[in-house]
Amino acid sequence: MSTPGISVLDGKYMVTMDMFPQQSREFNQIYPFFEHLKEGRFTTTKCRECGAEPFPPRVLCPECLSTNLDWIDWPTVGTVVEVTEEVVGVPLGFGKPPLVHALVDLQGKRTFFVRIINCREGELKPGDQVKLAVFDIDPVPQEMGREVVMVPRVFYAFEPVK
Amino acid sequence: MDRNVCVIAGGMSKWGVREGSQRDFFQEAAKACYDDNPLVKPKDIDGLLVASAYTERTSYQTHLAPLVAEYIGVKPKNVCARVELLCASGSSAIILAFAMIKSGQADVVMVTGGEKLYTPQKWEVFYSELASVDHDWDGSQGLGLPPPVFAMVAKQHMKQYGTKKEHLAQVSVKNRRNAVHNPNAQFRKAITMEEAMAARMIVPPLTLFDCCPITDGAAAIILAAEEKAKELTDRPLVYIRGTGQASVNNMSANMPTWTTWEALKIAAKQAYTKSRVEPKDIDVAMTHDCFTISEIIEMEDLGFCEKGEGGPFVADGQTDFGGKVPVNTDGGLLGCGHPFGGTGIRQGIEVMKQLRGDAAQQVPNAAIGLTHNLSGFIAAHTVVIYGREP
Ligand SMILES: [Zn+2]
Repeated sequence: MSTPGISVLDGKYMVTMDMFPQQSREFNQIYPFFEHLKEGRFTTTKCRECGAEPFPPRVLCPECLSTNLDWIDWPTVGTVVEVTEEVVGVPLGFGKPPLVHALVDLQGKRTFFVRIINCREGELKPGDQVKLAVFDIDPVPQEMGREVVMVPRVFYAFEPVK
Repeated sequence: MDRNVCVIAGGMSKWGVREGSQRDFFQEAAKACYDDNPLVKPKDIDGLLVASAYTERTSYQTHLAPLVAEYIGVKPKNVCARVELLCASGSSAIILAFAMIKSGQADVVMVTGGEKLYTPQKWEVFYSELASVDHDWDGSQGLGLPPPVFAMVAKQHMKQYGTKKEHLAQVSVKNRRNAVHNPNAQFRKAITMEEAMAARMIVPPLTLFDCCPITDGAAAIILAAEEKAKELTDRPLVYIRGTGQASVNNMSANMPTWTTWEALKIAAKQAYTKSRVEPKDIDVAMTHDCFTISEIIEMEDLGFCEKGEGGPFVADGQTDFGGKVPVNTDGGLLGCGHPFGGTGIRQGIEVMKQLRGDAAQQVPNAAIGLTHNLSGFIAAHTVVIYGREP
């Protein structure tokens, strides 16, 4: 790995340039979300006191301020409300154009605006079904004492149900 | 203490793809601001607020306000700090300066804002946009750059209300035409309806001229307590009458509706109530036309027209000179460009000029003006109302 213009950074990891969140216990208290993703589960936190299901998952219920939260499974299949296809200006790290996004009704839980992968231009239409798609992303070289440990990571998009 | 607050000077650097650094542009903006009102000297200024969103990412500089103070000859003694709310950083700083002066915590505050967004390699600014939305949950879906978000808004507004691509094009044609008269605007060439309709596709239905550009530049404005203002200007006084700023969600999954912007309605209601005016009283408005569809929805949610009528309202010329409420008379974001921290200040300067009566394209007898910004994933809205009377 080389970093032109800043040779002292050759081979260094920069959290300030990482497009994905930290997923280790040391750097993120909602790390179970990512553990669940690896099992193909899409989860969030549900408040034991008031029943609220906030998303993104968190450590404090924003409705009643309880910290008594349980992990619960949400649906992994949703219905497309509308589709966008970015043909110019796709950011680094998101593949060749078009970058497809869809507004997806996750069975009434929330309406997510998410990236759609494994999908050709013009393929997806309102009313179509899409399902959770989990993929590996770059691991983070994290210092643990004197060691540097590679922390594996995953992230999610949705894909058409064929 | 509850004092009236006036705007007594304002100026901006040339905006666009600029040669120079962030600190160069802050100096240029300060110079333009001082030149606008030679009666105000740096020694009169007791507070400085600096609005900048990307200073850490594209200039590797935090603790920006004392740096800017040093460069523009100001030695603040009541406040010297940076304010950040991405695209609404400038108007947020104006709100805070207004509150400080109104409450007696400061007498004369300069608010300056701007960005150096073009980097030696262009990918970096686009990549940095991943920090502008919820980084972990929306940025990671590739939603840092806003065109897909506003394309989704436009598609749904078209479906629900029959808004047409021609309506979108009309907004860019008007704002580009207005920018021709603004020497500091990024784009100073008018475009035709045909050009707007045939432009390169970005994210359907949005084409090139539906989107504001990436911009370098800065702007500065000076606010003063009424008594000070009477000493420090010989021009007609322009007052800040009232403000509102609201947020009801941040992550996209928590957006209540995509085509009615609840936070805008709340911010507008607060500003109208505190200013003791109604939408029909607004003579001129600078609204956040980051995309053409934005200006159309803003006409509706600011109460200038009925919900769903934004497209026809624009097409009828109601937002042009001679219409109900001329909008973005200096070119807006689509014409002037959008260096995030500078935009709210640029809007305030144009409204100040309109109410003083010395705008490049004057709305006759403008007495009440409004500015509006949205920021982030349509996640916060900021409204400021100015008047010739307090
Ligand atoms: Zn709760």
